Amino acid sequence: MPPAQASASPPAASLPHPSSRRRGAWRQRLACVVLVGPALVLYAGFMVVPALLGGCYSLTDWNGWTADATFIGLANFRDLGKDDRFWTAARFTLFETALIVLFFTFGSLVLAVLLDRVTRMKGLIRGLFFYPFVLSMLVSGLLFNYLANYREGAVNLLLRWLGLEAWTQDWMGSPDWVPYFIFALVAWSALGFFTTLYLANLQTVPVELYEAARMDGAGAVRVFTHIQVPLLLPTITTNSVLALITGINLFGQIVVTTEGGPGFRTVTISYYIYQLGVLSNRQGYASAVSVATFFALVVVACIQVSLMRRRTVAL
Amino acid sequence: MRVPSCGWRVAVAGALLLVLLAACSAPEKQAEKVIRVTRNIGGREGFRIHFEAWKAAFEKQNPGWKMELIDLGNASGADFYKSKIATGDLPDIVMTWQLAKFLSDGGHLIPLSDEFYGKFGIPPPPPYKGKRYTTQSGIQVQGLAVNRKMWNDAGITEPPATWDEFLADLQKVKDRGYTPLVYGGKDWSAFMPLFLSLAANLYHDRPTPGKPSFTKLRDERKVLFATDPTARLILQRVAELMDRFVPKGAGSDGYNEQQRDFYGGKGATWMMGCWLGGDLEPHQVDFEVEYWPVPSMTGKSPVFIQTSEIPNGWAITTSASGEKLTKAISALELFFDPQVYQLFLNGEMQIGLAERVNAKAPKCASAPVQKFVDSMVASVKRYGTTPGWHNALDDFPPLSFEHVMRAVSQELLAGNRDYDKLLKMLDDEWDQGRKGE
Repeated sequence: MPPAQASASPPAASLPHPSSRRRGAWRQRLACVVLVGPALVLYAGFMVVPALLGGCYSLTDWNGWTADATFIGLANFRDLGKDDRFWTAARFTLFETALIVLFFTFGSLVLAVLLDRVTRMKGLIRGLFFYPFVLSMLVSGLLFNYLANYREGAVNLLLRWLGLEAWTQDWMGSPDWVPYFIFALVAWSALGFFTTLYLANLQTVPVELYEAARMDGAGAVRVFTHIQVPLLLPTITTNSVLALITGINLFGQIVVTTEGGPGFRTVTISYYIYQLGVLSNRQGYASAVSVATFFALVVVACIQVSLMRRRTVAL
Repeated sequence: MRVPSCGWRVAVAGALLLVLLAACSAPEKQAEKVIRVTRNIGGREGFRIHFEAWKAAFEKQNPGWKMELIDLGNASGADFYKSKIATGDLPDIVMTWQLAKFLSDGGHLIPLSDEFYGKFGIPPPPPYKGKRYTTQSGIQVQGLAVNRKMWNDAGITEPPATWDEFLADLQKVKDRGYTPLVYGGKDWSAFMPLFLSLAANLYHDRPTPGKPSFTKLRDERKVLFATDPTARLILQRVAELMDRFVPKGAGSDGYNEQQRDFYGGKGATWMMGCWLGGDLEPHQVDFEVEYWPVPSMTGKSPVFIQTSEIPNGWAITTSASGEKLTKAISALELFFDPQVYQLFLNGEMQIGLAERVNAKAPKCASAPVQKFVDSMVASVKRYGTTPGWHNALDDFPPLSFEHVMRAVSQELLAGNRDYDKLLKMLDDEWDQGRKGE
């Protein structure tokens, strides 16, 4: 009998009794149920069931005030195609998402590489970048409200102090500036988080690779493009997906700052769903917008992940 | 993997955790002898004082019973009511605003009898589907608050009758070196000039059977904002007001900044509802404030907008049954206890509506506040009111119309002069809002 087989088949005497084995398997199943069950129940209760209910409501004209909802088939989805405000919200959301994905995927990558080179007061400097992420969205939004006020906001006060009165703007009230105001708020709030993910990945790059590159005469740019970027690809994928989710889900920032204004120019898809459901009492239609957005996002996320995987394999 | 032989312990711990979670999430058992009432106090001292008096009167007359406040803050209550409907836990008495229609359509309100209104001499509100639900609390008007000294300095002592006069007068105030108008485009208050203008011009005349309101005509698509010349004129004239008298950067100011500027004596005019009078004392305003009607853009008479003419106030919900219903009716009746009602009028700066109650208008110890009250009462008597679009629950724009008014105002403030597009926004949102009813 080959040794491998011998070790795979212990002597019959050491095998547990069948009833004991059954008890062990039962205990294992029980432990799984007990450990996973509560989380599963909560997840199902607060995520899966509401999502399924939302799908059902999307086929009705329910307004949220009555117990009964009339089934209207796919009428809400047909309305969606002709809804200018939805498409305006979608365009604004995509614009913000594009900025956010680009910035959090590449901007925070550059920042992480730079921070990785810092040797003095490393913790303090990294902490300074990370601390806005600790603040709640409400606090960050209110802070930006104050910063952006035309008369008394810190930004304009600083510009005036520098003698640049002509540069002062109504950052939140001007249609030209408000998209960048929202982006700045998101960027400031979450930059630390995305940078930290890259920093964590950078710690795993073997030192030998850097040393070899240095011996080969590679400069900082070549090290970045030929060592760091390829090895950071998994995190680039993660960050880009997370940034996509952040952009598509823009809601709290809008509620706290512009409430969709000026006009409807900063209404995002999430905020539009809220407006429809809560302010216009069109719960059914709001659900249809949610469902349509969900499926669109699933498609986008699949494409994004597939592209990134292909890129990773190619490298 | 070897399974530890402590499965039963894990099971017990899990079960305990579930029990704990269930206990934490279980709703607090309602005390039986409690009447729960909603109110939008949100830091307004006058509202709080009124509620405390109402509560004390109820608890005195109904020993063993309590009145519990549910403070809605500055929210409309729509979210709260919807969530309570979903959990079958609506408070016994609710402040309705324009939500009475939705609450009654959902079968959540209990109608009040005609005797209730007769008892206090309250003009019965227009019925909704043949029934009346709300208490009709007082007369709330909206118009122009002016800093008397600034306008006097500009040589103006009488309210302007027309929009042209209004703009000319604001120019005189501006020429005296004052900020003529307090305005902010950031929050709900952005729509005030547009709202007052629409109400005073498009809705100036009360509807009659032969002459329905703009709301009814719009619902039947016999008129559209996009093609209505008065609606277009209103947008153009409001834009003119903004171009000439609203400084750059007002888009980042909201109600709080307007309050601070006006009460701080930094602005001559504020287009705002009469409730602003209730904040004069807390803000220690020591100058005279007068309340003026909305000047006309269409050659009609200047007028105040009476926003309380639709069924409004408090209503009893279906949560109150049996003895609770009797006590809820008692609570609504005690709202018209003269002392309680006086404090309501003081807090809200509303004019009394209940003829048989000896409280007719707000009464305040502070001289500037009392002057404001006197000015308001005299002006309302002199110029009269229009309900604007606040006619009846079934003769009222979609709830979301307020949001599009704000959006259009913000567009005007941002310099958008594409009136076709702006009027279309009003039409689109009107249709959108109606689909939610």
